[in-house]
Amino acid sequence: MAITRRDLITNIAKAGVPVAAVMSMSTMASAGSESTQAESLPVPNAAVGLLYDASLCIGCKACEAACNEANNTPEDISGDRLHEAPVDLNVFTRNIIKLYKPTDGSPSSFVKRQCMQCLDPACAAGCPFQALYKESVTGIVRWDGGKCIGCRYCTISCPFSVPRFQWQGFNPVVTKCELCSHRLAKGLKPGCTSVCPTGAVTFGPRTVLLLEAKRRIKNSPGRYYQDRVYGEKDNGGTQALYLSRVPFAMLGLPEIGPESVPSSSLRWQERVYKYFALPALLYVGLVAVIRKNLKGHEAEALEQEKETGLRAQQ
Amino acid sequence: MSTTVIKLPGTTRPRWERAVPVYGVSVVNPFFIGLIVMALLALVLTTYREIVGLGPVSGMNDMFGWGIWKTFNVVVLTAWGSGAFAVGTAAWVFGRKRLFPLMRMALLTSMLAYACGLCLLGVDVGRPWNFYWVFFPWNWNVHSPMAEVAICMSVYAAIPLFLENIPPVLERLWHFDVRLQPIVEKLEHILHKFFPLIIAAAYLLPAMHQSSLGALMLLAGQRVHPLWQTPFLPLLYVGAAAFMSFGCVAGTTMLCCLVWKRPMDREVLDEAARITAWLIAGWLALRTLDLLFRGALITAFRFNRYAGIFWTETFLIGYGGWLLYRSLKDRQPRTMFLGYTISSIGGMLYRFSPTTLAYMPGPKAMYFPSTIELLIAIGFVSIGIAAFLLMVKLFAILPAPAQEWRDMAHYFKFRKPYISWTRYFNFGFFGDIEPKESD
Repeated sequence: MAITRRDLITNIAKAGVPVAAVMSMSTMASAGSESTQAESLPVPNAAVGLLYDASLCIGCKACEAACNEANNTPEDISGDRLHEAPVDLNVFTRNIIKLYKPTDGSPSSFVKRQCMQCLDPACAAGCPFQALYKESVTGIVRWDGGKCIGCRYCTISCPFSVPRFQWQGFNPVVTKCELCSHRLAKGLKPGCTSVCPTGAVTFGPRTVLLLEAKRRIKNSPGRYYQDRVYGEKDNGGTQALYLSRVPFAMLGLPEIGPESVPSSSLRWQERVYKYFALPALLYVGLVAVIRKNLKGHEAEALEQEKETGLRAQQ
Repeated sequence: MSTTVIKLPGTTRPRWERAVPVYGVSVVNPFFIGLIVMALLALVLTTYREIVGLGPVSGMNDMFGWGIWKTFNVVVLTAWGSGAFAVGTAAWVFGRKRLFPLMRMALLTSMLAYACGLCLLGVDVGRPWNFYWVFFPWNWNVHSPMAEVAICMSVYAAIPLFLENIPPVLERLWHFDVRLQPIVEKLEHILHKFFPLIIAAAYLLPAMHQSSLGALMLLAGQRVHPLWQTPFLPLLYVGAAAFMSFGCVAGTTMLCCLVWKRPMDREVLDEAARITAWLIAGWLALRTLDLLFRGALITAFRFNRYAGIFWTETFLIGYGGWLLYRSLKDRQPRTMFLGYTISSIGGMLYRFSPTTLAYMPGPKAMYFPSTIELLIAIGFVSIGIAAFLLMVKLFAILPAPAQEWRDMAHYFKFRKPYISWTRYFNFGFFGDIEPKESD
């Protein structure tokens, strides 16, 4: 059953941008009454994303291997030089399955971590020369090596600690999940979703995934934590959506609230520098005051020059 | 022309009337050689870092993406080096003209601190060759604090701060050779004409990027401890830069006076100490109010690392400010110097905390700078100190009584008639104004 549903969604995604655009527009129109920031933020027409249902995940890590293959990254065997067992996301690992297992016997859960493809990404908001940017059509947050200066501000600002900087070598790159954009262009699904045996992770237009997630919640009330889709509104909305039986915070998904990090933290920054008007005004005022003060000082210095017989110093 | 100099100690208060080079002392001494060795070592290690990447040479990791090269050499050093901005603003915008004798010290320390910080920033970033995008404004991400820091800082150091430091060089050329005087005077005239525009930019740009340095950590959100994470972070960062740079400028000047046996001008130093004490009082008040209104003050009374750091920095800044205030009464240079030192160290800790000490990226995140990282950081500071020692001996930077200038002229005239080209006076010209034909 799950498989067929996944195929359906996948086919919708494969059908390409026009269908997705029409679908998202129609669902947006029918969406609803309440207005949160997640809905006021411009959702790209063909925003694609992932839906990860932690309750279906069996932790087989097939998606990790598929991710490596799809992105042509070497297996991270730094642990025991034998098994691919990365501890966390790293420059070779854009996608990782982790296990949350409390010692008191309460429910445990796997969690898949990768870029959340935020609607208002903090990494792109902080990136000085727009090396990290949100694609206008698909909404995928991508990295442009020709503009990145390697300042690593993205690793500081991302609330999900996703972007990774390459610590080795003279030409380091920043890596993060880019939803296998190169595969999408060929009409293929992202690596992780193409191999998942249980349908825990599915790929599709964000609106469709959101409806599907809500359908699952409706069909089995009480199964999911707070009957909530993480990423619908969190951090202003993300394109990777999560369903889980255990609290999201336990899976490393922080409770940020419906307002995105950039819009809540850089509000004043944006106001002060709007149209560059305030700094320009301040500059003009400063020039006037300084000109007046300097003139007085020059006269004094000349007087002192006459008095001491030593050349005046500016 | 010259009259015999008789020093009568105690009869008059020494006044700082003009900047005079440190003369009669060799530039090369064991300390200077030590600095050069550290600097060279750092350059060699930097080459190694450029080849192997950041991982093998530093303690930085996926969780702590920023190490001391950014958090100390850029964030802290540029705060100490904000003298050109803070002292200058006090003198030329708020009319505290008594601070004028400190200006050249402020300008020089600022330029060196910024230059060293920016150079190390170039070593710290992974892909510095892409920095050329700074010349394409349509590619700037204008609302990014990082873009503002990168753009404002480099523009500030390269243009206004550099131009502000030109006068001592021109002055030296003027005294160097009579034949150079007409062209130097012409250049000075041009420079003076544009000075208001240059200086205004030199105050606006640091105000912008010092606040943006604070805004950097706003995006880190919950990962900075609530004692530090506040919407007022930009303002607090500018404030910290203001009192720290006063401490750096006045403290360094006092230290130089002590080392090279120059008299101290109590009026100027008192003025600087008074301003610093008030800046500290205002800063502490703002921080306390912010903590109170956000309700974060309660976390300062928990027994953990963060509360410890908070109380340490608050104590250091507050105690330093109080010592400065007391030095106005007890007239002890020792108290004043201690006040500057302690408050500056407290400010350093404050600027250091949000990015490093109070930054909590994850439960197991650990960062401690590696040996190579420390050596490079120290090496780049050594370059700055060595350049400072060279500059004060080549150019008129340190303030002194006017008599010092005449003493210097005598020294070169009678004690060292065979002056090498590295010395201040050459060609037998001693800096006294010679009567012009028009007079």
